[in-house]
Amino acid sequence: MDCKTYKSVLKLDKGTACTAWNYCGQRLAAGTVDGTLAVFDSTDHASSSFRCSSRVKVHKAGILKVVWVPPEYGDAVACIFYDGGFSIWEEAGEDSHSVQWKLCEFFNRGSSKVLDIQFGVSPTSLKMVSTYSDGYIQVYELSNPLELKNWQLQAEFQNVIDSISTFRKASCLSASISWNPMRGGQELSFIMGFNSDTPQLNSSKVWEFDGAHQRWLPVAELALPEERGDRVYSAAWAPNIGRPYELIAVATERGIAIWHIGLNPDLDGRLPMERVALLSGHEGEVWQMEWDMSGMTLATTGSDGVVRFWQSNSNGVWQGQATFVHTS
Amino acid sequence: MPETAPAGGEVVPMSSGHGQPLAPRLSICWSRGNSLRVSLFSLASFEDEAGGEVVEVKLCDGGDGEISNAQWRTIAYDSVSPFAMLQNRRNSMSSFSNINPSPYHLECWEYMMDYSKDINVLLGNKKSSVDSLIEDPDIFLKKTEEPTCLKAAWELMEMFYVNKLSQAWLPERIVDWLADYDRLFAALHGTVHMKVMNFQNVHNDIEVYEDDLRYWDVIESALAVGWLEIAVKMLRRHGSYQLDQLSNRETENGLVEAVALLISKMPRMRSELEPGRLGECYKAKPDFIKAWDKWRGQITKLDSCAFWIQCHHGQTREGLKKLLQILLGNTNSLLAATTNWLELCVSHLIYIRPFTVGLESMYNLAQNCIQLKPMSSPHKLMNIIIGILGENTEVVLAECSKEFGPWMVAHAIELLTVGSNEAESLLHEERYNLGEISLEELHRLAYAQVLSSHALTWQIAPVYLSSCMKHGMGLLEILLYKQPVQLKELLLKNLEICRLYDLDDCSSNIMKMAGVYHWKHGRKGSGIYWLQQARDEFRLNKIAQQLFASVGKSISDESFKQWEGLIGLLDSESNAAGGFEFLHKYRDFKRSLQQIGDGKNDIAAQKAIDSLMLLMRNTSTPQRFWLPLLNDSLKLLNWQHRPLLSVSNTNLLLNKLQELSSARLHPGFVKPDLPAEALNSVRLALATNLGRAILEE
Amino acid sequence: MAVRPLSRPVEIYKHPLHKYVDAVRWLPPISALDRHAVLALFDSDCGSSSVEIHSFLNPKTDASSTSAMLTALTTWNPPSRVSSLKTTLIGHRPFIAVSTADGSVYLVSAHDAHTLVEIGAVHEVHACPVSCIDLLEGGSECVSVGEDGKVNLVSFGSSTVTNTLFFDSNGLVSYSAAKWASPNEFATGGLDFGLQWWDRRKPGSPVSQFKCNWAQGRASGIIHSIDIHPSRKHTCLAGGSLGTIFAWDLRWQHEPIIFSESRIGVGSKHSVSESEVWEVQCVCDGRSTSTSNFSSSSRMLPIMMCSEDGILAVLEQGMNLLVISDSQMSSSRNVFHFWFYIFFRKLMAVFAFPIYSCKRTENTSSVNSQFRPKVCSCLQ
Repeated sequence: MDCKTYKSVLKLDKGTACTAWNYCGQRLAAGTVDGTLAVFDSTDHASSSFRCSSRVKVHKAGILKVVWVPPEYGDAVACIFYDGGFSIWEEAGEDSHSVQWKLCEFFNRGSSKVLDIQFGVSPTSLKMVSTYSDGYIQVYELSNPLELKNWQLQAEFQNVIDSISTFRKASCLSASISWNPMRGGQELSFIMGFNSDTPQLNSSKVWEFDGAHQRWLPVAELALPEERGDRVYSAAWAPNIGRPYELIAVATERGIAIWHIGLNPDLDGRLPMERVALLSGHEGEVWQMEWDMSGMTLATTGSDGVVRFWQSNSNGVWQGQATFVHTS
Repeated sequence: MPETAPAGGEVVPMSSGHGQPLAPRLSICWSRGNSLRVSLFSLASFEDEAGGEVVEVKLCDGGDGEISNAQWRTIAYDSVSPFAMLQNRRNSMSSFSNINPSPYHLECWEYMMDYSKDINVLLGNKKSSVDSLIEDPDIFLKKTEEPTCLKAAWELMEMFYVNKLSQAWLPERIVDWLADYDRLFAALHGTVHMKVMNFQNVHNDIEVYEDDLRYWDVIESALAVGWLEIAVKMLRRHGSYQLDQLSNRETENGLVEAVALLISKMPRMRSELEPGRLGECYKAKPDFIKAWDKWRGQITKLDSCAFWIQCHHGQTREGLKKLLQILLGNTNSLLAATTNWLELCVSHLIYIRPFTVGLESMYNLAQNCIQLKPMSSPHKLMNIIIGILGENTEVVLAECSKEFGPWMVAHAIELLTVGSNEAESLLHEERYNLGEISLEELHRLAYAQVLSSHALTWQIAPVYLSSCMKHGMGLLEILLYKQPVQLKELLLKNLEICRLYDLDDCSSNIMKMAGVYHWKHGRKGSGIYWLQQARDEFRLNKIAQQLFASVGKSISDESFKQWEGLIGLLDSESNAAGGFEFLHKYRDFKRSLQQIGDGKNDIAAQKAIDSLMLLMRNTSTPQRFWLPLLNDSLKLLNWQHRPLLSVSNTNLLLNKLQELSSARLHPGFVKPDLPAEALNSVRLALATNLGRAILEE
Repeated sequence: MAVRPLSRPVEIYKHPLHKYVDAVRWLPPISALDRHAVLALFDSDCGSSSVEIHSFLNPKTDASSTSAMLTALTTWNPPSRVSSLKTTLIGHRPFIAVSTADGSVYLVSAHDAHTLVEIGAVHEVHACPVSCIDLLEGGSECVSVGEDGKVNLVSFGSSTVTNTLFFDSNGLVSYSAAKWASPNEFATGGLDFGLQWWDRRKPGSPVSQFKCNWAQGRASGIIHSIDIHPSRKHTCLAGGSLGTIFAWDLRWQHEPIIFSESRIGVGSKHSVSESEVWEVQCVCDGRSTSTSNFSSSSRMLPIMMCSEDGILAVLEQGMNLLVISDSQMSSSRNVFHFWFYIFFRKLMAVFAFPIYSCKRTENTSSVNSQFRPKVCSCLQ
């Protein structure tokens, strides 16, 4: 497949370290190493030219990652900073003229740094999962859908299947969270994996909210028994538009694993799962994986600076479809 | 704790210590459909002015640029109607066929043919390069617009898969097809078309045609692929036709004319022959065989006649003899006259095996021809032909997909399944690995995704998605969620699509998104409107609670106006919750309080006190507002002119105050945000009022 | 809904433009023989918008040469996408008011059909795209409204353009349509099928308000277009969501006269369309109706409408309906269409970029009518 057709969409500010597109691809939030959040807006939905609509200094430390809040909760982003804290900023105003980016809430967990944040939408509330360098996962819930200020800590746990053991000395370099992207009635769930020195924490686990007991349960561990200690660099849950199974990609040092996860748990509460492919092609770690809207194509990128596209053929065999290398 | 993670801002955990230091860091995000946006950071060279950029990468553009993007959009829009029409007819047909299956196939062919023709028309006008050659004697081949491979491929599939009624005349149809599209093969290999064109470009420089070898060569080639009109037209340029030479070269001219006449009398088995086309048309096989034998007899007779000896012009004699060999189907002559296997194959169909029927025999013929004229890199159309002749649906599909992109596959699949059980089961079988969808659905989904990639075409994607029984609606919902809600026209279009496909949840979520967007961006009216449309009681109640927050607080005129306006907006019969009722009463109370002004208007004051009593009597008034309300009314309770409250009303209020005092002892009591002496002032005022009221009564 | 056949066939000409057509109006004739259209176009490939004057040649008998029907004469480029466009004639000079997506209003004058000159502009008078502008007929004033709740009066002289903020709802009310009734009065419309009547001599609040207090089962929606007939200034004609078209008589404020509406559960039985009605206009003479006694105020004038789902129709009170477009439009063949309708000898222009819709329905009898391109504007 041909990937040579590309065009430049916008120029980023000097020192930009991370970017994130909003739900409709009309806004880009970009964070710089000096702690400035720049927002680029498309001039028209039908054209692909963008201009910067706002630049706000949001923190003294640099911005490591930007994550958009789901659109049902306004135009807002969470910024993760180099110094380990994160904050939520929102574009709002009492009238049309006073609209500007404002700080809603700042989070700091002391000595443990936040590594990743992701938002999950349930029919009634917004949930936020944050993971920390000490191997802990926190789940927050927004109490008022119109105010991004009041977050209630709903749960705190480590990324281990057996809940008895805790690892106090864990040191995690990076973490990867991916919510089950489907809206609708079923229970909320997400997948989470660590890149740490504690093997038990690393493997990616599917966490599901048990509404009856108000707790989060690990329902699947996406790693072969001998590979459970592998550091996880990235995980991505594919949108399910009607498949009888969920599709999840997990990147470790061995490559990109594609998993099929059954929809219904077996007798001991675990979801049936099968690794259908282990893809290699990237040199070095895979930092980011993104499923397209149908879950048919997986785009990945990593330290080799190459974007790769993966698809399954009609026989269910996953293979690389195309690559993109930027040459300037 | 995390000792290994260094403090400070100098290390980026995601990339620290990994990879080559100079490799640009990337970030990726899917945009519309199948375009991916890649952010390229240039952190490594921080001294540079540039801070990196974002590029958009299209995963698949479909085709090789033969057709421009704007043309693809035109094709995309125009094919919506035929496609939807076909789906509708098929749906109504399949419900009908349960009762009476016999008319199914005939009618099925009919509407498939309609569909195929509709698509064929929108791919461009058919401009045959063979017809209307009569006008200009110097032009053998008209310079027409370049045909497209896309149309050529579509016509091939139509010919082999759909147009079953003319299967008997298939060889002649292939001849016609090649006449239309032979030039497309010029890029890779020589073609007869190219030969003719080349000759046409130079023929004015040639003084004596028949002396030039190229002249005979071109006629041979044109004849070999069945372009009788060109062959005859060129023959008539033979020098012996010139008046001054006619007498000297009578026999020679006679031979030329005899060959030309034989060519133009060639029997052809086909349904019709357009005016200006040469040959004699036979619809039925027995008639054709009779004519064919007779015609061949005439050629043989001419070939062996004595006149050839009298023909003194060597080249003419040789040339005409070669033409006769072609007409007689001499394999070596045909091989020499044609430039690629497809042309050779066509020449065989014309002169050696005009009765070829069935794909298998054609496939064998094609394989023979390929062996005789092998090719290093076959043309895409040739691959499709081989796929069709070999009855290999997968190959055809793969070639269509590779060469023409998702539009072609999504639309051509309809053709492939006509009357073929193998293809039907291949394309309609649900595969677990694909998520329990069929190949047909997969390709429709892929095409819909391509449509979603562009702002101008996303809105036709629902038509294709609605034909996907299993995954279509799921993808449609995602597509709709990805449309921006801030643009009114787009939002309304989005909601209309939801309405048409009964996606009520999706619709209400989108309205929620729009409502929050407007609410947060200072357009409270629009915000509330969309939240009401979404029936989002949860958020509306939160808004109402925000309004409660200003109960009992002194607010400026301007913000009271805003507050009052918001309550007005929340006024809706669907929101008959108690909270709203209270807010409305409170608004009336607040309004009349404001109307009192300087404190001398008795009527307004009485109105205000009535509103207060309404509020205090009403059970929907939250207890926590009792004191703020009374505190607000201090001015009324201490009214100068006369006591405004009756004895019974004053007692009621005093009771409420008592109730409040005892409630204070309960845990969970919300202490109003009022000065500490408020309670005492109210109690005092009420007591005073009670005294005055008793006196008055 | 009763559909009357047309006494004369409608002639439809299509003119494909490979751009979005954002607005179209007739340019008031400079001389008696001229016929020019003003088009606001948006080219999504390069992201540029333009306002163009096109000459319109009546193809008469030679209908085969429809491609040469529209010829661009001159172009003026607004910096942002056009959201609304109106024309008027002052003196003998045509003026064009253009509002844009960035909240600005531009005044452009056409010296002749070949020259467009920008007189001036008021920039970003709205904090969001201008929803609608209306030019006072023959006067030098323009009302602009937006979703931000602002009502601006833009006045222009020979070389200056000034703006007065007439009212600001601070976002509590959003406006999506505006129409002058007289030099001092105008009407606006917006959410919840709400209409407001304003008198510039009484600023501060609307003189009169109409909020469609629909009875049970009637859905709410947005007004997209208002028209007021010059001879009946007390009646405000409005069209909007869900195929709703109604008239609001200032003298009988409580009850609207309904031309077309969708009811929940009843569907489109009373409705010419179920979709967004983008424009409504009073038909200015009695050519299309048998009940042409317009001096009697008991009957409404016939009205013309166009909608998202591709319907162009003339309606009369009592649900007599003449659908003009329907099948003709469904057979359209190009990505961007521009139609001119010749309707009872008078010209009416309709533009559209096709937004197709398809109903997933078991009733497959009228497949064609499900694929109608959007009609965004109609004018006489």
